[in-house]
Amino acid sequence: MKVHVNIDICLLHGQCVIAAPEIFSFDDNGDLVWVAEIDDSQVADAEAASDACPEQAIIIG
Amino acid sequence: MYLLGNLKLTGNDRKMKQESQFAPPLPYLDVADPGFSIRSAAVAAAREASWVARTNYGLAVLRYDDVQKMLRHPKLRQGSYRWPALNDVTGDFARWWESMLLSQEGDNHARLRRMANPAFSPKLITSLAPKFTELANMLIDDFAPKGKCDFIAEFTEPYATGVICELLGLPFERWRELADIAGDMGLALGVTFKKDLPTIEAATQRLFSYVEDLVAFRRANPKDDFIGMLINANEDKSQLSDQELMDMIVLAIFGGIDTTRNQLGLAMSTFIEHPDQWALLAEKPELARAAVEEVMRVRPTVTWVTREATEDFTYNDTLIEKGTTLHLFSQSATSDPRVFEDPSFDITAERKPHFGFGGGTHHCLGHFIARGDMTEALKLLAQRVKNPRFDGEVEWLPDSGNTGAIRMPIAFDPA
Repeated sequence: MKVHVNIDICLLHGQCVIAAPEIFSFDDNGDLVWVAEIDDSQVADAEAASDACPEQAIIIG
Repeated sequence: MYLLGNLKLTGNDRKMKQESQFAPPLPYLDVADPGFSIRSAAVAAAREASWVARTNYGLAVLRYDDVQKMLRHPKLRQGSYRWPALNDVTGDFARWWESMLLSQEGDNHARLRRMANPAFSPKLITSLAPKFTELANMLIDDFAPKGKCDFIAEFTEPYATGVICELLGLPFERWRELADIAGDMGLALGVTFKKDLPTIEAATQRLFSYVEDLVAFRRANPKDDFIGMLINANEDKSQLSDQELMDMIVLAIFGGIDTTRNQLGLAMSTFIEHPDQWALLAEKPELARAAVEEVMRVRPTVTWVTREATEDFTYNDTLIEKGTTLHLFSQSATSDPRVFEDPSFDITAERKPHFGFGGGTHHCLGHFIARGDMTEALKLLAQRVKNPRFDGEVEWLPDSGNTGAIRMPIAFDPA
């Protein structure tokens, strides 16, 4: 499964980092980084992050 | 260095230091005065003079770009946990306020937020849209034949409360009790907090007692919903303590009712002042979602979002000392002419995001519901309540803190 973030609409709230800290994090510059390719065991977390994103900027698939 | 209360201006070199010694003092805004308006010319003038003003509570951040940066600045934490202390208030409301989700940080906050998130997911909320429409229609049916109503008592209160009853599985017959409690507790988020304390404490105690009964009932009659999930989590006290269980349900009830009630009232008053926009919405119901965003840009019920400095840091050549409270003025930021060339109310305009739901780690948990239920409400109201106008005096909460109308008599042409 692939994780895609539409950075144009992402406002860096960090809700994905709370929902799925294994997949999403902030780097030292405060930019969002994420695991682009996830295995099946991580899909539920990724979907929780996608649901929690206030801007709905995360697409899993 | 230039000292102003707990704020110092710093410069990187000697020249700047010399200049800053003679820098004009920062604007001062007396936001604790109940007569103070967040939309006043004084705030606009302060925004032109400086990115920041001093206030009774600390600092007010006034411009769009600075508010956006401050919302998720790494040296700031959520700051409203100190609101009771800033008002010299203790008691049951303060105890709850200082320990609930919004006031938590770090691991505790993440644990509680992860637990609550699924109950507020966009998918779940989308499935509730027909219920929102049904509720709105039922309420409008009740007052439409009269061609007039108190828009707060007859629409926004039962609607906001009904949505929460639907979401949490509470009996709608008791909506008035919950709406009254939420309204009284909401007084705590205004600048008359201390004066209103007896009313606020009584309401807080009533809500806790309501929630205690509710939890006991749900333990005996399990149901697979948000409260059921919290009760299950509470079986392992390290996952969710008894107090956290109560605090979370109180937050879901209070947080959902008070803000939506106020925001829908502010929507109606804004549209009454812009009748052409109301007519346009009736003609194009697909604009309802954009209308919600535009109302929250020009007239947010949450007039400021609070942050607190966790350590000393410098921003815009200003040293902000640890412990300083910063109020990020949402309405001032989203009418900032630097970003909004024409800031007048226009539901068809493409806009940058507003701050009506805060932002960052503490972004409003219930925003999908609020957006969803207000969209459905405005869509229907524009169809059925034509040419709305004020029909008597509107009674308002103070204009700062969480604001809104307490009473709003309107007349209209039923359709």
